[in-house]
Amino acid sequence: MSDGLNYKFLVDTFFVALSGVPITLFVTAVALLVALPLGFLLALTRINQIPILNTFSQVYVSFVRGTPIIIQIFIVYASVPLILTAITEKYNWNIKIYDINPIWYAFIVFSFSTTAILIEVFRSALSTVSKGQLEAAQAVGLTNFQAYRRIVIPQALVVALPNICTATVNLIKATSLGYAMSLQEITLKAKVAANVGYNYVEAYLDIFLVYIILCSLVEYGFKLYEKRLRKYQYVSS
Amino acid sequence: MSNMEKYFDASYIWSSFPALLPFLKITFLVAGLSIIFGTFFGLILASMKLGKNKVARKVANFYTTILRCTPSIVLLFLVYYGVPSIADNFGIYLHDIDTAVFVVITFTLQFAAIMSEVIRSAYESIEKGQFEAAVSVGLSPFQAYRRIIFPQALVVALPNFGNGMIALLQEGSLAYTIGLIDVVGKANLIIAANYNTHALEIFIALAIIYWILSILIEKGFGKLEKMFSKGKQTIKAT
Repeated sequence: MSDGLNYKFLVDTFFVALSGVPITLFVTAVALLVALPLGFLLALTRINQIPILNTFSQVYVSFVRGTPIIIQIFIVYASVPLILTAITEKYNWNIKIYDINPIWYAFIVFSFSTTAILIEVFRSALSTVSKGQLEAAQAVGLTNFQAYRRIVIPQALVVALPNICTATVNLIKATSLGYAMSLQEITLKAKVAANVGYNYVEAYLDIFLVYIILCSLVEYGFKLYEKRLRKYQYVSS
Repeated sequence: MSNMEKYFDASYIWSSFPALLPFLKITFLVAGLSIIFGTFFGLILASMKLGKNKVARKVANFYTTILRCTPSIVLLFLVYYGVPSIADNFGIYLHDIDTAVFVVITFTLQFAAIMSEVIRSAYESIEKGQFEAAVSVGLSPFQAYRRIIFPQALVVALPNFGNGMIALLQEGSLAYTIGLIDVVGKANLIIAANYNTHALEIFIALAIIYWILSILIEKGFGKLEKMFSKGKQTIKAT
Protein backbone atom coordinates (compact mmCIF):
# COMPACT_ATOMS: atom_id res chain seq x y z
CA MET A 1 0.00 0.00 0.00
CA SER A 2 2.97 2.29 0.29
CA ASP A 3 2.66 3.52 -3.26
CA GLY A 4 2.55 7.13 -2.12
CA LEU A 5 -0.22 9.62 -2.64
CA ASN A 6 -2.44 9.59 -5.66
CA TYR A 7 -1.80 13.17 -6.77
CA LYS A 8 -4.37 13.26 -9.52
CA PHE A 9 -7.04 12.15 -7.06
CA LEU A 10 -5.72 14.64 -4.53
CA VAL A 11 -6.21 17.54 -6.94
CA ASP A 12 -9.56 16.33 -8.30
CA THR A 13 -11.02 15.72 -4.87
CA PHE A 14 -9.88 19.12 -3.67
CA PHE A 15 -12.45 20.59 -6.03
CA VAL A 16 -15.06 18.07 -4.93
CA ALA A 17 -14.48 19.16 -1.33
CA LEU A 18 -14.58 22.79 -2.44
CA SER A 19 -18.00 22.19 -4.02
CA GLY A 20 -19.31 21.48 -0.53
CA VAL A 21 -18.34 24.94 0.71
CA PRO A 22 -21.61 26.68 -0.33
CA ILE A 23 -23.71 24.26 1.77
CA THR A 24 -21.36 24.67 4.73
CA LEU A 25 -21.53 28.44 4.46
CA PHE A 26 -25.29 28.40 3.94
CA VAL A 27 -25.86 26.36 7.11
CA THR A 28 -23.41 28.57 9.00
CA ALA A 29 -25.12 31.75 7.81
CA VAL A 30 -28.62 30.54 8.69
CA ALA A 31 -27.48 29.36 12.12
CA LEU A 32 -25.85 32.74 12.80
CA LEU A 33 -28.87 34.68 11.55
CA VAL A 34 -31.07 32.79 13.99
CA ALA A 35 -28.58 32.70 16.84
CA LEU A 36 -27.35 36.31 16.87
CA PRO A 37 -30.69 38.02 17.67
CA LEU A 38 -32.00 35.13 19.76
CA GLY A 39 -28.77 34.85 21.72
CA PHE A 40 -28.76 38.58 22.33
CA LEU A 41 -32.36 38.63 23.59
CA LEU A 42 -31.78 35.68 25.90
CA ALA A 43 -28.57 37.31 27.14
CA LEU A 44 -30.67 40.33 28.08
CA THR A 45 -32.98 38.07 30.09
CA ARG A 46 -29.91 36.81 31.94
CA ILE A 47 -28.54 40.29 32.58
CA ASN A 48 -31.89 41.70 33.71
CA GLN A 49 -32.71 38.52 35.67
CA ILE A 50 -36.16 38.09 34.15
CA PRO A 51 -37.64 35.29 36.29
CA ILE A 52 -38.53 32.25 34.16
CA LEU A 53 -36.57 33.10 31.02
CA ASN A 54 -33.41 33.59 33.05
CA THR A 55 -33.55 30.06 34.47
CA PHE A 56 -34.51 28.67 31.09
CA SER A 57 -31.47 30.29 29.45
CA GLN A 58 -29.24 29.03 32.22
CA VAL A 59 -30.34 25.41 31.81
CA TYR A 60 -30.29 25.71 28.04
CA VAL A 61 -26.70 27.02 27.98
CA SER A 62 -25.60 24.39 30.47
CA PHE A 63 -27.10 21.61 28.36
CA VAL A 64 -25.55 22.74 25.08
CA ARG A 65 -22.15 23.34 26.66
CA GLY A 66 -22.34 20.06 28.51
CA THR A 67 -23.21 17.73 25.65
CA PRO A 68 -21.28 16.91 22.47
CA ILE A 69 -22.78 18.33 19.25
CA ILE A 70 -22.85 14.90 17.68
CA ILE A 71 -25.25 13.75 20.41
CA GLN A 72 -27.39 16.84 19.92
CA ILE A 73 -27.50 15.90 16.24
CA PHE A 74 -28.48 12.33 17.08
CA ILE A 75 -31.27 13.55 19.34
CA VAL A 76 -32.70 16.04 16.84
CA TYR A 77 -32.38 13.59 13.98
CA ALA A 78 -34.21 10.92 15.96
CA SER A 79 -36.83 13.06 17.67
CA VAL A 80 -38.01 15.53 15.01
CA PRO A 81 -39.42 12.79 12.71
CA LEU A 82 -41.20 11.22 15.70
CA ILE A 83 -42.80 14.50 16.71
CA LEU A 84 -43.71 15.32 13.13
CA THR A 85 -45.27 11.90 12.63
CA ALA A 86 -47.39 12.37 15.71
CA ILE A 87 -48.54 15.80 14.54
CA THR A 88 -49.26 14.86 10.94
CA GLU A 89 -51.18 11.76 11.96
CA LYS A 90 -53.27 13.74 14.38
CA TYR A 91 -54.29 16.31 11.78
CA ASN A 92 -54.18 13.91 8.82
CA TRP A 93 -51.70 15.99 6.91
CA ASN A 94 -50.10 14.30 4.01
CA ILE A 95 -46.42 15.01 4.43
CA LYS A 96 -43.70 12.49 3.75
CA ILE A 97 -41.44 12.97 6.74
CA TYR A 98 -38.57 10.99 5.34
CA ASP A 99 -38.43 13.19 2.26
CA ILE A 100 -37.46 16.25 4.29
CA ASN A 101 -34.17 17.73 3.12
CA PRO A 102 -31.50 17.07 5.79
CA ILE A 103 -30.50 20.72 5.62
CA TRP A 104 -33.55 21.52 7.79
CA TYR A 105 -32.21 19.30 10.53
CA ALA A 106 -28.86 21.01 10.17
CA PHE A 107 -30.53 24.42 10.55
CA ILE A 108 -32.27 23.25 13.73
CA VAL A 109 -29.22 21.65 15.37
CA PHE A 110 -26.70 24.36 14.58
CA SER A 111 -29.06 27.25 15.39
CA PHE A 112 -29.88 25.53 18.66
CA SER A 113 -26.25 25.09 19.71
CA THR A 114 -24.94 28.41 18.40
CA THR A 115 -27.69 30.35 20.21
CA ALA A 116 -26.55 28.91 23.52
CA ILE A 117 -22.91 29.79 22.85
CA LEU A 118 -23.86 33.33 21.86
CA ILE A 119 -25.98 33.83 24.98
CA GLU A 120 -22.80 33.45 27.01
CA VAL A 121 -20.78 35.61 24.61
CA PHE A 122 -23.29 38.46 24.76
CA ARG A 123 -23.83 38.11 28.46
CA SER A 124 -20.15 38.55 29.25
CA ALA A 125 -19.83 41.33 26.66
CA LEU A 126 -22.83 43.24 28.02
CA SER A 127 -21.56 42.96 31.55
CA THR A 128 -18.35 44.77 30.54
CA VAL A 129 -20.36 47.88 29.65
CA SER A 130 -20.79 49.83 32.85
CA LYS A 131 -24.28 50.60 34.03
CA GLY A 132 -23.44 54.30 34.05
CA GLN A 133 -23.33 54.27 30.27
CA LEU A 134 -26.95 53.18 30.05
CA GLU A 135 -28.03 55.56 32.79
CA ALA A 136 -26.21 58.47 31.21
CA ALA A 137 -27.85 57.73 27.87
CA GLN A 138 -31.25 57.66 29.49
CA ALA A 139 -30.49 60.82 31.42
CA VAL A 140 -29.88 62.77 28.22
CA GLY A 141 -33.26 61.65 26.94
CA LEU A 142 -32.61 58.57 24.82
CA THR A 143 -35.24 55.86 24.93
CA ASN A 144 -34.20 52.46 26.23
CA PHE A 145 -34.07 51.11 22.67
CA GLN A 146 -31.99 54.04 21.43
CA ALA A 147 -29.64 53.75 24.38
CA TYR A 148 -28.98 50.11 23.57
CA ARG A 149 -28.68 50.66 19.86
CA ARG A 150 -26.42 53.72 20.00
CA ILE A 151 -24.49 53.36 23.23
CA VAL A 152 -24.48 49.88 24.76
CA ILE A 153 -24.44 47.56 21.73
CA PRO A 154 -21.55 49.26 19.88
CA GLN A 155 -19.37 48.99 22.99
CA ALA A 156 -20.42 45.44 23.80
CA LEU A 157 -19.87 44.36 20.22
CA VAL A 158 -16.18 45.29 20.35
CA VAL A 159 -15.73 42.98 23.31
CA ALA A 160 -17.94 40.26 21.85
CA LEU A 161 -16.42 40.18 18.38
CA PRO A 162 -13.39 37.94 19.04
CA ASN A 163 -15.70 35.46 20.78
CA ILE A 164 -18.24 35.63 17.96
CA CYS A 165 -15.35 34.86 15.63
CA THR A 166 -14.40 31.80 17.68
CA ALA A 167 -18.04 30.73 17.73
CA THR A 168 -18.28 31.10 13.95
CA VAL A 169 -15.11 29.10 13.35
CA ASN A 170 -16.37 26.41 15.73
CA LEU A 171 -19.69 26.41 13.92
CA ILE A 172 -18.03 25.91 10.54
CA LYS A 173 -16.01 23.07 12.04
CA ALA A 174 -19.12 21.56 13.60
CA THR A 175 -20.94 21.46 10.26
CA SER A 176 -18.47 18.72 9.33
CA LEU A 177 -20.67 16.52 11.53
CA GLY A 178 -23.49 17.08 9.06
CA TYR A 179 -22.48 13.72 7.56
CA ALA A 180 -24.53 12.14 10.37
CA MET A 181 -27.60 13.75 8.79
CA SER A 182 -26.34 13.06 5.25
CA LEU A 183 -25.87 16.76 4.66
CA GLN A 184 -23.96 17.26 1.40
CA GLU A 185 -21.18 19.42 2.79
CA ILE A 186 -17.39 19.42 2.48
CA THR A 187 -16.61 16.32 4.49
CA LEU A 188 -19.32 14.05 3.13
CA LYS A 189 -18.70 15.01 -0.51
CA ALA A 190 -14.98 14.26 -0.34
CA LYS A 191 -15.55 11.09 1.67
CA VAL A 192 -17.99 9.74 -0.90
CA ALA A 193 -15.44 10.46 -3.63
CA ALA A 194 -12.85 8.50 -1.65
CA ASN A 195 -15.10 5.47 -1.21
CA VAL A 196 -14.57 4.46 -4.83
CA GLY A 197 -10.85 3.80 -4.66
CA TYR A 198 -10.17 3.86 -0.92
CA ASN A 199 -8.15 7.09 -1.31
CA TYR A 200 -8.99 8.18 2.21
CA VAL A 201 -5.67 9.83 3.03
CA GLU A 202 -5.93 12.07 -0.02
CA ALA A 203 -9.59 12.87 0.64
CA TYR A 204 -9.00 13.85 4.24
CA LEU A 205 -5.99 15.94 3.28
CA ASP A 206 -8.26 17.84 0.90
CA ILE A 207 -10.96 18.29 3.53
CA PHE A 208 -8.27 19.43 5.98
CA LEU A 209 -7.00 22.03 3.48
CA VAL A 210 -10.46 23.34 2.65
CA TYR A 211 -11.31 23.87 6.32
CA ILE A 212 -8.01 25.61 7.01
CA ILE A 213 -8.54 27.98 4.08
CA LEU A 214 -12.16 28.62 5.03
CA CYS A 215 -11.50 29.23 8.71
CA SER A 216 -8.43 31.40 8.06
CA LEU A 217 -10.49 33.59 5.73
CA VAL A 218 -13.26 33.91 8.31
CA GLU A 219 -10.75 34.81 11.03
CA TYR A 220 -9.12 37.36 8.74
CA GLY A 221 -12.50 38.90 7.92
CA PHE A 222 -13.36 39.23 11.59
CA LYS A 223 -9.99 40.86 12.30
CA LEU A 224 -10.66 43.51 9.67
CA TYR A 225 -14.12 44.17 11.06
CA GLU A 226 -12.76 44.32 14.58
CA LYS A 227 -10.33 47.03 13.53
CA ARG A 228 -13.20 49.09 12.15
CA LEU A 229 -15.22 48.66 15.33
CA ARG A 230 -12.33 49.62 17.61
CA LYS A 231 -13.30 53.28 17.40
CA TYR A 232 -16.33 52.56 19.58
CA GLN A 233 -14.30 51.13 22.39
CA TYR A 234 -14.56 53.00 25.63
CA VAL A 235 -11.09 54.06 26.67
CA SER A 236 -10.71 54.57 30.36
CA SER A 237 -7.98 56.99 31.20
CA MET B 1 -50.31 10.35 20.80
CA SER B 2 -50.54 6.58 21.18
CA ASN B 3 -48.30 6.22 18.18
CA MET B 4 -45.71 8.42 19.78
CA GLU B 5 -45.62 6.15 22.81
CA LYS B 6 -45.03 3.16 20.60
CA TYR B 7 -41.82 4.78 19.37
CA PHE B 8 -40.77 6.57 22.52
CA ASP B 9 -40.59 4.82 25.87
CA ALA B 10 -38.83 6.75 28.64
CA SER B 11 -38.09 3.57 30.59
CA TYR B 12 -35.46 2.77 27.94
CA ILE B 13 -33.52 5.81 29.10
CA TRP B 14 -33.09 4.41 32.61
CA SER B 15 -32.54 0.83 31.56
CA SER B 16 -29.72 1.79 29.21
CA PHE B 17 -27.58 3.38 31.94
CA PRO B 18 -26.28 0.08 33.39
CA ALA B 19 -25.25 -1.01 29.90
CA LEU B 20 -23.58 2.28 29.03
CA LEU B 21 -21.80 3.31 32.22
CA PRO B 22 -19.12 0.57 32.27
CA PHE B 23 -17.89 1.89 28.93
CA LEU B 24 -17.11 5.25 30.46
CA LYS B 25 -13.89 3.53 31.51
CA ILE B 26 -12.70 3.59 27.90
CA THR B 27 -13.86 7.19 27.47
CA PHE B 28 -11.92 8.20 30.58
CA LEU B 29 -8.84 6.20 29.66
CA VAL B 30 -8.59 7.78 26.22
CA ALA B 31 -9.35 11.27 27.54
CA GLY B 32 -6.93 10.86 30.46
CA LEU B 33 -4.02 9.77 28.26
CA SER B 34 -4.72 12.60 25.80
CA ILE B 35 -4.73 15.08 28.67
CA ILE B 36 -1.42 13.84 30.05
CA PHE B 37 0.40 13.74 26.70
CA GLY B 38 -1.37 16.88 25.47
CA THR B 39 -0.41 18.91 28.53
CA PHE B 40 3.21 17.84 28.18
CA PHE B 41 3.29 18.63 24.48
CA GLY B 42 1.40 21.87 25.13
CA LEU B 43 4.04 22.90 27.65
CA ILE B 44 6.71 22.48 24.99
CA LEU B 45 4.66 24.50 22.49
CA ALA B 46 4.04 27.24 25.06
CA SER B 47 7.75 27.52 25.83
CA MET B 48 8.40 27.77 22.09
CA LYS B 49 5.86 30.61 21.87
CA LEU B 50 7.38 32.43 24.85
CA GLY B 51 10.98 31.81 23.91
CA LYS B 52 13.37 34.06 22.03
CA ASN B 53 13.80 31.82 19.00
CA LYS B 54 11.83 33.38 16.16
CA VAL B 55 11.54 30.20 14.09
CA ALA B 56 10.30 28.17 17.05
CA ARG B 57 7.73 30.84 17.82
CA LYS B 58 6.48 30.86 14.22
CA VAL B 59 6.26 27.07 14.15
CA ALA B 60 4.32 26.90 17.41
CA ASN B 61 1.89 29.63 16.39
CA PHE B 62 1.39 28.03 12.99
CA TYR B 63 0.64 24.71 14.64
CA THR B 64 -1.98 26.26 16.92
CA THR B 65 -3.66 28.09 14.04
CA ILE B 66 -3.86 24.96 11.91
CA LEU B 67 -5.24 22.84 14.74
CA ARG B 68 -7.78 25.50 15.65
CA CYS B 69 -9.10 25.42 12.08
CA THR B 70 -9.39 21.64 11.80
CA PRO B 71 -12.59 19.85 12.78
CA SER B 72 -11.88 16.98 15.19
CA ILE B 73 -13.49 14.45 12.94
CA VAL B 74 -11.22 15.42 10.06
CA LEU B 75 -8.13 15.24 12.26
CA LEU B 76 -9.30 11.89 13.61
CA PHE B 77 -9.61 10.34 10.16
CA LEU B 78 -6.44 12.00 8.94
CA VAL B 79 -4.55 10.34 11.80
CA TYR B 80 -6.43 7.06 11.41
CA TYR B 81 -5.63 6.71 7.72
CA GLY B 82 -2.52 8.87 7.55
CA VAL B 83 -0.32 7.50 10.35
CA PRO B 84 -0.33 3.89 9.13
CA SER B 85 0.37 4.89 5.54
CA ILE B 86 3.22 7.16 6.61
CA ALA B 87 4.58 4.29 8.70
CA ASP B 88 4.33 2.07 5.61
CA ASN B 89 6.90 4.23 3.92
CA PHE B 90 9.34 3.37 6.69
CA GLY B 91 8.46 -0.30 6.47
CA ILE B 92 6.51 -0.31 9.73
CA TYR B 93 3.16 -2.08 9.70
CA LEU B 94 0.61 -0.25 11.86
CA HIS B 95 -2.69 -1.24 10.28
CA ASP B 96 -3.82 -3.55 13.03
CA ILE B 97 -2.96 -1.63 16.18
CA ASP B 98 -5.75 -0.70 18.56
CA THR B 99 -7.99 2.16 17.37
CA ALA B 100 -7.62 3.71 20.85
CA VAL B 101 -4.03 4.59 19.89
CA PHE B 102 -5.21 6.72 16.96
CA VAL B 103 -7.80 8.36 19.17
CA VAL B 104 -5.18 9.24 21.78
CA ILE B 105 -2.82 10.62 19.10
CA THR B 106 -5.58 12.79 17.63
CA PHE B 107 -6.73 14.27 20.89
CA THR B 108 -3.18 14.71 22.16
CA LEU B 109 -2.46 16.86 19.09
CA GLN B 110 -5.63 18.83 19.69
CA PHE B 111 -5.30 19.21 23.44
CA ALA B 112 -1.68 20.34 23.04
CA ALA B 113 -2.86 23.24 20.88
CA ILE B 114 -5.46 24.24 23.47
CA MET B 115 -3.02 23.85 26.38
CA SER B 116 -0.26 25.84 24.70
CA GLU B 117 -2.60 28.84 24.62
CA VAL B 118 -3.80 28.24 28.18
CA ILE B 119 -0.24 28.05 29.49
CA ARG B 120 0.96 30.99 27.43
CA SER B 121 -1.81 33.31 28.56
CA ALA B 122 -1.44 32.21 32.19
CA TYR B 123 2.29 32.85 32.07
CA GLU B 124 1.86 36.24 30.45
CA SER B 125 -0.67 37.26 33.09
CA ILE B 126 2.05 37.17 35.73
CA GLU B 127 3.96 40.40 36.01
CA LYS B 128 7.62 40.32 35.07
CA GLY B 129 8.46 42.09 38.30
CA GLN B 130 7.46 38.99 40.26
CA PHE B 131 10.28 36.99 38.72
CA GLU B 132 12.77 39.82 39.09
CA ALA B 133 11.81 40.34 42.72
CA ALA B 134 12.20 36.63 43.43
CA VAL B 135 15.62 36.49 41.82
CA SER B 136 16.75 39.67 43.55
CA VAL B 137 16.01 38.19 46.98
CA GLY B 138 18.34 35.33 46.13
CA LEU B 139 16.15 32.60 44.62
CA SER B 140 17.61 30.70 41.68
CA PRO B 141 15.63 31.09 38.43
CA PHE B 142 14.28 27.55 38.86
CA GLN B 143 13.18 28.27 42.42
CA ALA B 144 11.60 31.51 41.28
CA TYR B 145 9.56 29.65 38.69
CA ARG B 146 8.59 26.86 41.05
CA ARG B 147 7.76 28.95 44.10
CA ILE B 148 6.59 32.27 42.69
CA ILE B 149 5.52 32.10 39.05
CA PHE B 150 3.99 28.62 38.86
CA PRO B 151 1.57 28.89 41.82
CA GLN B 152 0.21 32.18 40.50
CA ALA B 153 -0.01 31.08 36.88
CA LEU B 154 -1.81 27.90 37.96
CA VAL B 155 -4.72 29.86 39.39
CA VAL B 156 -5.09 31.80 36.16
CA ALA B 157 -4.83 28.64 34.04
CA LEU B 158 -7.25 26.49 36.02
CA PRO B 159 -10.61 27.66 34.59
CA ASN B 160 -9.25 27.47 31.03
CA PHE B 161 -7.78 24.05 31.74
CA GLY B 162 -11.21 22.94 32.93
CA ASN B 163 -12.88 24.27 29.80
CA GLY B 164 -10.26 22.51 27.70
CA MET B 165 -10.99 19.25 29.49
CA ILE B 166 -14.73 19.59 28.89
CA ALA B 167 -14.05 20.34 25.22
CA LEU B 168 -11.78 17.31 24.99
CA LEU B 169 -14.36 15.04 26.59
CA GLN B 170 -16.97 16.19 24.12
CA GLU B 171 -14.78 15.99 21.03
CA GLY B 172 -13.79 12.54 22.24
CA SER B 173 -17.37 11.43 21.61
CA LEU B 174 -16.41 11.28 17.93
CA ALA B 175 -14.01 8.39 18.51
CA TYR B 176 -16.84 5.95 17.74
CA THR B 177 -16.51 6.97 14.07
CA ILE B 178 -13.26 5.02 13.76
CA GLY B 179 -14.65 2.10 15.72
CA LEU B 180 -13.69 2.78 19.33
CA ILE B 181 -16.17 1.14 21.69
CA ASP B 182 -16.43 3.85 24.28
CA VAL B 183 -19.70 5.02 25.77
CA VAL B 184 -20.93 6.41 22.43
CA GLY B 185 -19.73 3.35 20.53
CA LYS B 186 -21.58 1.11 22.96
CA ALA B 187 -24.74 3.20 22.56
CA ASN B 188 -24.59 2.70 18.82
CA LEU B 189 -24.07 -1.05 19.30
CA ILE B 190 -27.16 -1.24 21.53
CA ILE B 191 -29.21 0.66 18.94
CA ALA B 192 -28.03 -1.63 16.16
CA ALA B 193 -28.93 -4.67 18.29
CA ASN B 194 -32.44 -3.19 18.77
CA TYR B 195 -32.84 -2.89 14.98
CA ASN B 196 -32.62 0.91 15.26
CA THR B 197 -35.67 1.23 17.48
CA HIS B 198 -35.60 3.32 20.63
CA ALA B 199 -32.51 5.15 19.42
CA LEU B 200 -33.80 8.43 20.82
CA GLU B 201 -34.01 7.13 24.39
CA ILE B 202 -30.45 5.87 24.29
CA PHE B 203 -29.17 9.14 22.82
CA ILE B 204 -30.96 10.99 25.61
CA ALA B 205 -29.24 8.73 28.15
CA LEU B 206 -25.90 9.57 26.50
CA ALA B 207 -26.67 13.28 26.64
CA ILE B 208 -27.48 12.99 30.34
CA ILE B 209 -24.21 11.18 31.02
CA TYR B 210 -22.16 13.83 29.22
CA TRP B 211 -24.10 16.66 30.78
CA ILE B 212 -23.50 15.38 34.31
CA LEU B 213 -19.80 14.78 33.59
CA SER B 214 -19.35 18.32 32.26
CA ILE B 215 -21.09 19.82 35.28
CA LEU B 216 -18.91 17.73 37.60
CA ILE B 217 -15.73 18.87 35.87
CA GLU B 218 -16.86 22.49 36.00
CA LYS B 219 -17.75 22.28 39.68
CA GLY B 220 -14.52 20.44 40.47
CA PHE B 221 -12.39 23.09 38.82
CA GLY B 222 -14.35 25.81 40.57
CA LYS B 223 -13.42 24.18 43.90
CA LEU B 224 -9.77 23.77 42.89
CA GLU B 225 -9.58 27.38 41.86
CA LYS B 226 -10.88 28.47 45.24
CA MET B 227 -8.40 26.21 46.98
CA PHE B 228 -5.37 27.44 45.07
CA SER B 229 -6.24 31.12 45.19
CA LYS B 230 -6.33 31.06 48.97
CA GLY B 231 -2.90 32.63 49.32
CA LYS B 232 -3.55 35.09 46.57
CA GLN B 233 -3.39 38.72 47.57
CA THR B 234 -4.14 41.32 45.01
CA ILE B 235 -2.25 44.52 45.44
CA LYS B 236 -4.77 47.30 45.48
CA ALA B 237 -2.49 50.29 45.65
CA THR B 238 0.53 50.35 43.41
